[in-house]
Amino acid sequence: MIKIRNKTLFAQIMAIILAVPMLAWAGGGGATGFIDAGTFALVIEVGLALGAIILATVVKKMGMPLPKLVQAPILWAVCYIAFRVILQPPIPFSLLAMYMGVCTVCILLYCSLTTESWEEFSNPIAKMLRANSGGAKMSRYATFVILPGLIAFQTYDMMLPKFGEPIELRTVHPAPPASINTHKKVINLQTAENPFRIGDDGNYLKVGDESKYFGGNAWTGDVPVFLQKVQEGGQVFFGTAGCFFCHGDNLDGLGPFSFAFNPIPANFADSGTIAQLQESFVFWRVAKGGPDLSREAFPWASAMPPWEKHLTTPEIWKVIIFEYWHTGFFPRTWG
Amino acid sequence: MSVIQGEKKKKVGVLLLLSMLGLLILLPFAVTTTFASGEEEAVAEEGDGEPKMGKDVFYKEEGQFGPISSRPAPELVYPDDYGTYGDYQSRTILWIANQQHLYFGSFVLAVPMFVWVMELIGILKYGKDPKEGKKFDDLAHEMMKISLTAYSVTAILGGILIFTFLALYPGFFGYLASIFRPVMHLYALLFILESGVLYVYYYGWDAFNDGNGDWKWTHLGLCTLLNAVGIVLMVMANTWVSFMMSPAGVDEAGHFLGDIWKVMHNPLMVPIVIHRILGNMSFGGGVVAAYAAFRFLSATNQAEKAHYDWMSYIASFMAVMFLIPLPFAGYWLMREIYGYRQQMGITLMGGLLAWVFIMQATMIATLFITVNYYLMQAMGRIPGSERYHGAFKFILAILVISTISWLTPHTLVMTPAELKAMGGAQHPIVGNYGVMSAKNTAINTMITTTVATFLIYQRSNFNLKVPWAWKGNIFLVCLFALAELNILFLGIYGYFIPANVRIGLSVPQVASTLTCLFVGSTINAKMLKGAEPIGEIRWGQMSRRGAYALFMLAVAFTWTMAVMGYLRSSVRLHWHVNEILRDNSPWAFTNPLGYAGNINSLNVLLFWTMLLFVFWLASLYATKSPLAREAEARGEVVAASH
Ligand code: HEC
Repeated sequence: MIKIRNKTLFAQIMAIILAVPMLAWAGGGGATGFIDAGTFALVIEVGLALGAIILATVVKKMGMPLPKLVQAPILWAVCYIAFRVILQPPIPFSLLAMYMGVCTVCILLYCSLTTESWEEFSNPIAKMLRANSGGAKMSRYATFVILPGLIAFQTYDMMLPKFGEPIELRTVHPAPPASINTHKKVINLQTAENPFRIGDDGNYLKVGDESKYFGGNAWTGDVPVFLQKVQEGGQVFFGTAGCFFCHGDNLDGLGPFSFAFNPIPANFADSGTIAQLQESFVFWRVAKGGPDLSREAFPWASAMPPWEKHLTTPEIWKVIIFEYWHTGFFPRTWG
Repeated sequence: MSVIQGEKKKKVGVLLLLSMLGLLILLPFAVTTTFASGEEEAVAEEGDGEPKMGKDVFYKEEGQFGPISSRPAPELVYPDDYGTYGDYQSRTILWIANQQHLYFGSFVLAVPMFVWVMELIGILKYGKDPKEGKKFDDLAHEMMKISLTAYSVTAILGGILIFTFLALYPGFFGYLASIFRPVMHLYALLFILESGVLYVYYYGWDAFNDGNGDWKWTHLGLCTLLNAVGIVLMVMANTWVSFMMSPAGVDEAGHFLGDIWKVMHNPLMVPIVIHRILGNMSFGGGVVAAYAAFRFLSATNQAEKAHYDWMSYIASFMAVMFLIPLPFAGYWLMREIYGYRQQMGITLMGGLLAWVFIMQATMIATLFITVNYYLMQAMGRIPGSERYHGAFKFILAILVISTISWLTPHTLVMTPAELKAMGGAQHPIVGNYGVMSAKNTAINTMITTTVATFLIYQRSNFNLKVPWAWKGNIFLVCLFALAELNILFLGIYGYFIPANVRIGLSVPQVASTLTCLFVGSTINAKMLKGAEPIGEIRWGQMSRRGAYALFMLAVAFTWTMAVMGYLRSSVRLHWHVNEILRDNSPWAFTNPLGYAGNINSLNVLLFWTMLLFVFWLASLYATKSPLAREAEARGEVVAASH
């Protein structure tokens, strides 16, 4: 048994740890708050894990350990709340199901880690099924009425006609063709390089080396060649082509037109779009747009226009330079 | 008299071994002569003039050109070049035949490798403690027994596979055979050697057994030879597969350019071979562990239970040892694929087949969680392990968190309404876990955790006696903590740098993991020097859940192999041989996920059904005759049944 002072100390620590994610959330949570999304996710996970552990320890130290059979559903509920309520914006059901599947299995494993804990978990169930006392009988009846009832309800719910649009297993980044034909020139997508990656010495600027230009102002008078190209690309993005109408002036896919489209325009500021792609792939997407998506990109619904009809090849390469520069990402390379 | 005879016998044995090894060394020469004659033939076919030269699809600069030495790849026509059984998908029939052959093939390839290790340990231990040595020797013998039955099943399945090819894909197989002609024959001939060595090795077990004398070493030499031939066989078969994915040594029209080595040494051959060998070992260990678990669960007496408990531990240890480097080999293979064709890489990881990768990720996570769970169950039979019970749940928690980020897909499945609610195809938080940095971090964390669990397992039975034990403990804790910090740090840092540098980061990440593995286990072993056991290990008292975990492990291995095999094969899309020989059958489409999943499950089920039969045969063999049982009951001594 521990002293009351320690108990309060424990409670305080626990409260602080639980509060951190909430504070973080209050501070904005999303991309704009004082804490960025990735850090936020980390804090949430670590916070929840520590919180749960400390909670369990405190309860145990106070001399009232929860039986495993009670712990399991509590843990499950905590996970559910974390993924369903705390994690915002809401994740799709398929992902939630996957996460909860993992949690469910692991909670069962947790209950059966040692022989003692397995017995602690399974004995009440066995007793409920076998014992001859009145209480056991009652819970047996209850279980065998409620369980089939739940299953019946679920079946009913499944059979109900639903009016939501069906799920689309869309391939956002389909495999590109080996080469494309733009402005009467064949461009080999395996090997094509951006002709405007030019370093101060006039030579090809290796991917990664452009980081020295990040964060600077490209629109002042005398800037290095690379930033000139960025500037020209920006001209295309905001002027000639007006990509920002769809992709947003922060390149976050939230331009004024964006909500009219499904799928909505790509968010370049996210680590899952251009940051994952080779420059030549991006070139293909910009030049050919939605109409030229390959077969696997069913249902080819993208509203992205085929820009080769309106922009020159150099303009396309430049706007690509601009997009990477603005978001601070690097194109993918192999080798 | 008998001593002299024994000496003589030994000399004969050693001579026998040497001559066999010599044969093996001669093999490469035999191969080169065959190829050389192949080239001559080519020139001859062209008639008097200079042979026409073709441009290699892969090799550049030097060796880019070679004499055209075969007909071009045919333009296959359906139905003339394809066989069918009614409306049924020929492809699926071939798929199943292939997968079954591969399962048994990799099993019989892997088992001799374990047996080699077990026999070696047995011989080495024999000097100090003959009883302990014999225990390992018997284990090796028993493993070999299972493998022997499986060997004939493999051969049968191999025959079925060839006939399936000839019946259903004659056009394609004809082309492949026209290129690999000499290698295919060599392959078949090598099987004679393989079988010969196998039978001498297996049936000579008792005859060669003189504890740790020359005879026994000769016997081990036979096993070495067996493994060498086995690996050569596997490499050969692999070159056909990797040629289909990434052809080389032929020109654009599919003409063979006269140099078979270039065909075999195509861009993806080496990474696939490495990946396969590691995978086979892991799988073989898993299957043997499942066999032991099967016998453990069905054992009727304590001694048997104890034996199979121990055997399952040894086998699963082997499986895990090769499971640990496997993800790294996988990354390397993936990288080579991207390097070979960006298209292929994207189809696999981000495009059409990305969902299959999620299935695979699920399986890998299952493997690691199961291994940890098994070790925890196994500690149930170790007195002294109670001290570590408290740590179990934390280990599990780390594994769950890693699994969740490991499984998060890059492309989410969602309804349009969900897409709107999320504000884009990428989730601002979850999206961060869909990329490579997060995956690398997760898998390294899982592996490091598994290593930690294993170290705990090793020491759970002991009170440390070395004077520096406390220092060692602090060191170990710091080692793991620092390694994990490093892995996490690099993982997060990976978001801020270009992809090609990020790929480089996986090297220090892996280095942290491997440091934990090697330094950790070395220190741990040193600390266990002279340690005092807390009690005798209660072999045979592992919980039944542990045995089931081993089944789970083995099934997960087979499922993973099915999924990844499917993936590797279907990435060629509508090509039999990538960009050279087009698949013009009606089944050149990519299967829906559900169908692929079902066929994979069917394959797994079929394999396990056959395997259980093999297991049952093995236990039948060990069953004593009723007569012997009666004799035993009367207290007479009966010779062992094997
Ligand atoms: C009519 C609105 C619209 C305009 C204007 C527009 N885009 Fe797009 N863009 C889209 C949509 C919609 C997508 C597809 C998103 C998806 O498939 O999930 C897209 C996709 C892209 C992609 C592919 C990203 C990826 O991850 O695959 C790139 C690159 C891109 N746009 C660049 C541009 C550039 C550069 C411009 C200006 C020259 C531009 N877009 C103008 C709507 C637009």
